Amino acid sequence: MENVDTNQNIDIILTPQFYTFIKEELGVKFTYQAKQIAPSLFDDYLDTKQTYQYHVYKCNDKWCFFAYNIDEVTLFLEKKGLKIEQIGKIFFAQDMDSYLEKAIDLGHDSVLQSLDGTVTLLPKRLMSSDYIYNEIDLNKISLQNGIAISSSYDSFIPLKQTILITSLLAILGGIFIVEGNRVKSSIANEKEKLDILVSKNSRLSSNRVRKSILGTYEPIDKRERLKRDTIEEVSKLMTKNISLKNITVDDSKIVVTLKAKNASAIKPLIKKAKAKMFKVKKEANNQIKMEKSI
Amino acid sequence: MSLMTLKRFKNELIVLMALLFALYAFSYKLSAKNFVSDKKNIIQSSIREITRVSELKKLWANKKTSKQAKIFKTIVSSNKIESFKKTSEKVTVSYSNLTINELNKITKKFMNTPFQITKLKIDERGKEKYSMELTCKW
Repeated sequence: MENVDTNQNIDIILTPQFYTFIKEELGVKFTYQAKQIAPSLFDDYLDTKQTYQYHVYKCNDKWCFFAYNIDEVTLFLEKKGLKIEQIGKIFFAQDMDSYLEKAIDLGHDSVLQSLDGTVTLLPKRLMSSDYIYNEIDLNKISLQNGIAISSSYDSFIPLKQTILITSLLAILGGIFIVEGNRVKSSIANEKEKLDILVSKNSRLSSNRVRKSILGTYEPIDKRERLKRDTIEEVSKLMTKNISLKNITVDDSKIVVTLKAKNASAIKPLIKKAKAKMFKVKKEANNQIKMEKSI
Repeated sequence: MSLMTLKRFKNELIVLMALLFALYAFSYKLSAKNFVSDKKNIIQSSIREITRVSELKKLWANKKTSKQAKIFKTIVSSNKIESFKKTSEKVTVSYSNLTINELNKITKKFMNTPFQITKLKIDERGKEKYSMELTCKW
């Protein structure tokens, strides 16, 4: 083959020296099943040191199997001046079987002819000198079983696993997105409640205003509740033996004087008062003075 | 990267794209969770604050509290009221000769009304007789 000088994309028809061909009748229905058993069919025909790619298609009621070495093919094409990127599809000469009952001239020393249904490369010297070679217009014939050069290379991940992994990842991703959206919408109720509250009092939409109001009223609330709780505690200390002498309440402290009818009531009274966190001081005449800071 | 290389590794590229999609979706879920967690805290804190502000204002800045201060003038017979002074902000009242029941009645009143007790002074003046000075504001 002569060198080629073109920038256009081209399809290639491989002649038989680049592939090994077997035609078999098999009890399989689908191409992928046939492709799975292809390597075992070629066991006895191929060099085990090399790596081969396999192509299968149905030819009438049989299966046509091809084994080829894509590196060998691409190396040859590159030597002839073609870049791999330029190569569109690769066809096998076997696909032209029906057009090659009469041989075609391939150049100086070889011809291509179908012998018993198998396209074969023959030395030209075997042909008689007056043999009239067939001429084929490649634009007019239809080749069906080409393969893209890229698909000749084996992927690290087979198609079946690709589909499985991709499906699982897509489902997982979908679940994550649905879950994310569900989580995002989960605050809708709280937001609605807040909007209602803010719409009733727009001033309180500001965090600073709220803090300021709380800063004013929280201490009042705390102080007034403490005053009331302490007065309540004092009232609980009073029994028929213990009465109030005086009580003074202001914003800083509560001071209470209680008096007991007899001395024996003083000790439990002091104990109770201390338990209520009062500072207690015993005074004369069965009296105690209690004090608590506000 | 040439088109052929892309075609050659198309299975790996598909898996890679699916993996990136799953990772993106996972990070979306995580960020949604964080966003919601932060936002929920802010919203709940705002709701708590607004509710609390409303409660406190209703209690300690209620304009109706002023009207309730009038009761200190009628809660016991007038001869026991030594002085009564009410302004728009506070009430100052002074009682004498109060019985235990009257003392309890007055105490119960100011304890259950949201007055700010600025001064309370109760003294025993005799057997079960008390005097009281009370200043409340609102």
